Amino acid sequence: MIGESVPMLDSVARVMGTVDYMINLRLPKMLFGKIVRSQAPHAKSLKVDVTNAMRIPGVVAILTGEDLGANAFYGVAIKDQGVVAVDRVRYVGEPIAAIAAESLDAAEQAAVLIDIEYHELPAVFDAQDAIQAGAPNLHEKFPNNIFKHAKLRHGDMDAAFAEADEIFEDTFTSPVAQQASLEPHVSAAQWDGEHLTIWTASQAPFMVRKSLSEIFGIAPEAVRVIVPSLGGGYGGKGHIRIEPLVAAMARKTNGRPVKFVLSRAEEFVTVTKHAASITLKTGVKRDGTFTARQATLYWNGGAYADASPMLVPAGMVRAVGPYRIPAVHVDSYGVYTNLPPAGAYRGAMSSQTTWAYESQMDIIARKMGWDPFEFRMKNLFVSGEHFATGEELHDVHFVECLEVSAKGLGVPSPLTPLPKGEGQGMRVGRGYGVMMKSTVATSKSQARLKLKDDGTVTLYTSTVEMGQGGHTTMAQITAETLGVPLRAIKIIGPDTAITPFDSTTSASRSTSMMGNAVIAACGTMKKKLFELGSPLLETPVDGLRTENGFVVADEISISFGDILKRNDLNTVEESGEYSTSFGIDPETGQGVATPHWHQGAGAAEVEVDTETGRITILKYSAAAFAGRVVNPRMAQLQNDGNVIFGLGPTLMEEIVYDGGQPINPNLADYSIPSIRDIPAELISICIESGEGEMHGIGEMTLPPVAPAIANAIEDAVGVRIKDLPITAEKILRALREKSQR
Amino acid sequence: MILNVNGSRHEVEAGTRTLLEVLRDDLGLVGAKEGCGIGMCGACTVLVDGKPISGCLTLAEQVPGKEILTIESLEKNGQLHPVQQAFIDERAFQCAYCTPGFILSAVALLNENPNPSEDDIREYLSGNLCRCGSYQNILKAVVEAGKRLR
Ligand code: FES
Ligand code: FES
Repeated sequence: MIGESVPMLDSVARVMGTVDYMINLRLPKMLFGKIVRSQAPHAKSLKVDVTNAMRIPGVVAILTGEDLGANAFYGVAIKDQGVVAVDRVRYVGEPIAAIAAESLDAAEQAAVLIDIEYHELPAVFDAQDAIQAGAPNLHEKFPNNIFKHAKLRHGDMDAAFAEADEIFEDTFTSPVAQQASLEPHVSAAQWDGEHLTIWTASQAPFMVRKSLSEIFGIAPEAVRVIVPSLGGGYGGKGHIRIEPLVAAMARKTNGRPVKFVLSRAEEFVTVTKHAASITLKTGVKRDGTFTARQATLYWNGGAYADASPMLVPAGMVRAVGPYRIPAVHVDSYGVYTNLPPAGAYRGAMSSQTTWAYESQMDIIARKMGWDPFEFRMKNLFVSGEHFATGEELHDVHFVECLEVSAKGLGVPSPLTPLPKGEGQGMRVGRGYGVMMKSTVATSKSQARLKLKDDGTVTLYTSTVEMGQGGHTTMAQITAETLGVPLRAIKIIGPDTAITPFDSTTSASRSTSMMGNAVIAACGTMKKKLFELGSPLLETPVDGLRTENGFVVADEISISFGDILKRNDLNTVEESGEYSTSFGIDPETGQGVATPHWHQGAGAAEVEVDTETGRITILKYSAAAFAGRVVNPRMAQLQNDGNVIFGLGPTLMEEIVYDGGQPINPNLADYSIPSIRDIPAELISICIESGEGEMHGIGEMTLPPVAPAIANAIEDAVGVRIKDLPITAEKILRALREKSQR
Repeated sequence: MILNVNGSRHEVEAGTRTLLEVLRDDLGLVGAKEGCGIGMCGACTVLVDGKPISGCLTLAEQVPGKEILTIESLEKNGQLHPVQQAFIDERAFQCAYCTPGFILSAVALLNENPNPSEDDIREYLSGNLCRCGSYQNILKAVVEAGKRLR
């Protein structure tokens, strides 16, 4: 079962359009919600008058800052974000009030009648501007707007740079982008006395539960979070999003449920990808080895810290790269600005950091006269070596990832020269990228299995099915480990009232973490079945195995269901847990950053039209290390998806702001890749290892896309783009500058 | 007004609402979904007289007398449409939010052109977006469905 490409369990529903997404949810007596948002990027003395709005027929309740208690602030580590704004607004789009009405029409009519007054303040939108003396301050507690400074200190920098023959210093930037799942953020909430039920399109039901219990001062068990299948997440539905507002609104509707569906424009002000400016100073010797790297990262966190206090340190670890570098210092800063809060974006933080370190690899190689492929191969980590955190690397396959992706381009050797292109002004080039990414260091997954006397097995899991096939994967692992047919398995969850704890569905952690919890639950279930079956089969426990729903001894066997029946049991339930608790020292970054490393590589062949700057991706070949693959075709599809998703931030995605106001918050002016943008040839390969540790593969092939393409462009036409996205205009401008030199 | 949806006549009070709203809210046909609301993503695709249109841009009052087909019409007597089956066989979806729109566009394409080239398919499906990036398998599924339908 593991290793078999079964279709997704609910494939038929998926092609019939009958999946129960949040957007379809209708509850008895349900009200419709609408959010009123700030038009100003920064203002104080906020006054909200709802008198006129309340007069609209059908309006049931309006939520404002006045309704909030002292605990109505949230954030993963820094509780700086109000459920709605209180006294102060800090970005265009910040919720100021919410309306619950009998119809969306009524809610929308009321929305325009809410009178808002505030006193505008100077605002700042760029992270490096925000840390200058005299810049507008967002939160008094953080006078220089830096809410997080993560540090990695490894080796003696001065000595290491002194040893270098050549020192390179380059800055690479990524703009604000948006996750843009086709399904928007949707949540509905209902109170029954002091019990809250929330249905929500979230990747992190237990984080939502914890946060809501803190905001409303109720026990975590009094909050029930139910998550149906998601229409995409990509990090944008991780952590806490609109749930606090929706729950606070529902507290004012006398027990009636209220549902909020965000519009596309609202999506763009709800969560974004961190804009980043990353400066790498790297020392190399003439023999092609590194001496030192100093990385300075500025992450634009937006107006509230949100998940950034966790992501900024992750970005620090992810900024070093998969190469042997004796001395490494990293300073990773999370900075407040007057933009919407930033969160995880598929390939979180690694997209920005890989863009930097893999672009600089080629800059160095070209300047030093080395082949970029060989330079990488020579310096890539192998198992047993030590990373800049001091931890020993195990099961690392960067060399293989790079080799396999290069081979996918179909050339005899990466060193084979490319014909430079045919036709007027057409030039072809080849480039590579390799990525090393941590997953969550400390997290926990639990799973529960229920076996019924009809032989069916229900797996209760809080892994969110968001298109990655998480539920199918878990069913396959259960089928294989427990020894039951796939069709006997049903999956329930997430529903925090009945499914056990899981930290989050993100960072490509589910297959490994929840997968191991399921394996543990299957182990205890089997043990139980052997104990119950041993007397019936007159065979000692160690002479038993399971197969296809039966406990099997040498010559006889008995079905799981019959074992239960013969023991007068209707059901048997068993649980399993898997957790990791690693971590690094906050002052030095030394320790263990991750249970295992995510590894991916990409190779691109591009054609550049020197007359127009237009880029065509002729071939793209991606490789990810997957350990043991549960479902090969689904894994490959996810890898393809990474590459295609990655083309967005590489070539087109950028939210453009004018004074903090997004000017392209729609899918006409903010382009995401269409079927016409995909490479003519796209290959993606999962690399497996004998040891059989299961790795996630949700992101591995994404971060290499941008640098591989930028490197291929330089190979083709000799210009270096350091600021994403790589547009035709930027290439043309760089070509002109080059020809004028 | 009377709308002819999936072969049956439905009396609806549409007002100035879009076809998408009427299909979802009044007729309970929720396979078509809003993704962008402005005709860019194709998640709301339905067929009107055989042509794929954006339900989010079409007012219900524009389509009385026309034959409207939604994803719900494709499966017949427990039998999936060959395009639907090909989408499963080729693993042409992940979150599947986009899938009904893609399938309907592909059905329309294959009706117009039973043997499309890969370029034809890319061109015809360029108004449908898939953020999960399932395009490569969608292409394969449409090619495969074409073969099965010929
Ligand atoms: S919702 Fe109609 S095209 Fe996007
Ligand atoms: S499968 Fe998720 S948007 Fe297409």
